[in-house]
Amino acid sequence: MKTKLSILSAALLSATLTLAPAVSQAAIPLAVGGQELPSLAPMLQKTTPAVVAVAVSGTHVSKQKVPDAFRYFFGPNAPREQVQERPFKGLGSGVIIDAKEGYIVTNNHVIEGADEILIGLHDGREIEAKLIGADAESDIALLQIKAKNLTALKRADSDELQVGDFAVAIGNPFGLGQTVTSGIVSAMGRSGLGIEMLENFIQTDAAINSGNSGGALVNLNGELIGINTAIVAPGGGNVGIGFAIPANMANNLVQQIIEHGEVRRGVLGVMGQDLNSELAKGFGIETQHGGFINEVMPDSAAEKAGIKVGDIIVSVNGRSIKSFQELRAKVATMGAGSEVEFGLIRDGDKETVTAILGESTQAAEAAAGAVHPMLQGAKLETNDSGVEITEVAQGSPAAMSGLIKGDVIVGVNRTKVNSLKALKSALEDQKGSVALKIKRDNTSLYLILR
Amino acid sequence: MIIKDALIYVGKAILFGLIMAAVIIFILPLITGQSLTNGITSRVSTSSSELSFSKAVRRAAPAVVNIYSLSIDQSKPLNPGSLQGLGSGVIMSKEGYILTNYHVIKRADEIVVALQDGRKFTSEVVGSDPETDLAVLKVEGDNLPVVPLNLNIPARVGDVVLAIGNPYNLGQTITQGIISATGRNGLSSGYLDFLQTDAAINAGNSGGALIDTTGQLIGINTAAFQIGGEGGGHGINFAIPIKLAHSIMGKLIKNGRVIRGALGIGGEAVGPVMAQILNIPDLTGVVITEIDPNGPAAQAKLRPRDVITEFEGEPIPGVEMLMDRIAETTPGTKITMTVIREGKSYQVPVIIGEKPVHYN
Repeated sequence: MKTKLSILSAALLSATLTLAPAVSQAAIPLAVGGQELPSLAPMLQKTTPAVVAVAVSGTHVSKQKVPDAFRYFFGPNAPREQVQERPFKGLGSGVIIDAKEGYIVTNNHVIEGADEILIGLHDGREIEAKLIGADAESDIALLQIKAKNLTALKRADSDELQVGDFAVAIGNPFGLGQTVTSGIVSAMGRSGLGIEMLENFIQTDAAINSGNSGGALVNLNGELIGINTAIVAPGGGNVGIGFAIPANMANNLVQQIIEHGEVRRGVLGVMGQDLNSELAKGFGIETQHGGFINEVMPDSAAEKAGIKVGDIIVSVNGRSIKSFQELRAKVATMGAGSEVEFGLIRDGDKETVTAILGESTQAAEAAAGAVHPMLQGAKLETNDSGVEITEVAQGSPAAMSGLIKGDVIVGVNRTKVNSLKALKSALEDQKGSVALKIKRDNTSLYLILR
Repeated sequence: MIIKDALIYVGKAILFGLIMAAVIIFILPLITGQSLTNGITSRVSTSSSELSFSKAVRRAAPAVVNIYSLSIDQSKPLNPGSLQGLGSGVIMSKEGYILTNYHVIKRADEIVVALQDGRKFTSEVVGSDPETDLAVLKVEGDNLPVVPLNLNIPARVGDVVLAIGNPYNLGQTITQGIISATGRNGLSSGYLDFLQTDAAINAGNSGGALIDTTGQLIGINTAAFQIGGEGGGHGINFAIPIKLAHSIMGKLIKNGRVIRGALGIGGEAVGPVMAQILNIPDLTGVVITEIDPNGPAAQAKLRPRDVITEFEGEPIPGVEMLMDRIAETTPGTKITMTVIREGKSYQVPVIIGEKPVHYN
């Protein structure tokens, strides 16, 4: 009797244990009419903690020229310009891409000019962020926070995206709080919009609004495919036309910012235009899309790689390109020194060439405010002897510190500085006041940054 | 002692039960072929390559064209002219027939059609129908991409659809939504035929394709609900169902215009009040309120307050039905209508005329 009972109870217990998960599963309606009901909720549970709110505050400096006629009233020493300072606050979104280091990607336009950047995490924590570097032309900025238990988004290969793929936007529209919207990839390689200097957007119909900027566009696996950046909005709000910077392009820029504290634009050294049907007909070629090369700069990466005038570049690293603008955006965000394979059509034949991108000879501008708060408003450029100030915005912290255009920073306290990177690392260790050694018109002087 | 016995008894049972449970949990997945916990996770990790509309897009998108007007500045004879984005169109056949909206092309002097592969063609207007806001263009070209078409699939509310077009002349754009409402299918007149969708449609999408998830054309995108000229973005957009668009296209290709029958009357449904005034038994039929003095109805001696109850022996429940029957009748055809006048029923023969087209 005892054994029978124990076997019976054993059977009951085991049945309960095995059936338990099945019962709890049945509570979720997985299917209706034999078809599974799709929901993004399980994916979003894992991804939403990686998208943060970015709140910024700062001062807008606007300058108004004082007309000469009025200068009389203010005397001979009156300022030529009237400087107005207006405090501002802004809201945007950001994406944690490295949980260990606390790296957050956002748009440059979200944090531009900000004195203070506050990150609102999904779990309610608010943490002040440091600007690591930014690139205005591509509209990408990298922030860093010091916090534990962060969730980062994995990156998908955004070059693999196809028009028609599902896309989910996560961000903080109108400061409402975290919002998820869904749609599809409407177009790839969108350029020529005049929103940014370098454009190679993913277009989506997922609702993106003011405040979504810097937020994540993810695929159905919850992997980052783009950074939401802009919309076409005739009435101010979303009409189903939004633009995101591809994750691969953002990643290239972020890697450069992490490595150098700035973006080192790669230069191919070509000028050109979109291939159009007239050009294609003229050259007797089948292809209708690509970048047509008009001019190759002497001693450039393109010339060394053997790219010639009249070539049509149709792919970059095996990915086909549609327009010259897309080519430009891809090359410029790849970073100096990258080895890039170009597919091209020459005299009707397909060829591939490999080029090592040169460094931009133009001012390698950095977000000076990221180097030191009191340098904000200055444009910095590494030259032969140190870091040159190529421009100072009136009324900016840099101007107040006494910096003027043409100054060359050659040292920080007793440390010699010969590059932007060296300047950055020298300033990083300093707390409190710092003495900058400046060369101005062949004289040396010290300026104190407080 | 009893307590101890009981404890041992219960303990044995629990131990045995746990072992059995462990064995069953371990073995059951092997038998059923799947882990119990996988039921939930498997639908989460569905790979994105399966869940994409890219196949449908690849099938239909090449056949959706951008339509431009070529405006030539007369004062600059050497200027080749500039292209202005007008809207979109859909290539319907290998012969190069393109369906678009009438409002897209109505003000254009010279129309340029741009394919997604980069080819550009100047095109002629085969015919226009302002009433349904449709027009047919034709281009001469080899290997033209043609949109997949199945006229026998009805669009249902809730079906997932994709809109393809060239909004704001940005370049080809695919947007996704569902069918929000449907009108009546296969009829020849009126706005009730529209499919309504929440897929984003903006200026420049007009004349473009609304396709289903297999890439088949189900409508021609035509209008977006607007408030105060602010543009779209309200998620209320309209498309002409393909069955209607296709039949209009056939007529435009055949005749250059859509020939519709006309009776030359204005009318309204018989309401309860009207039924009492006119002393008629039920509420079906159309009461004549206006008569075109030169129209077919006037010629047949019809008068205001006459009630049309049958058209060729078929009962007429309301205005839309009568309008459709008249529109579908070839002008010149002699038909018979049942008309009630002063409580008495008459059989009235009428020769249907042609409805004039107003190209506004």
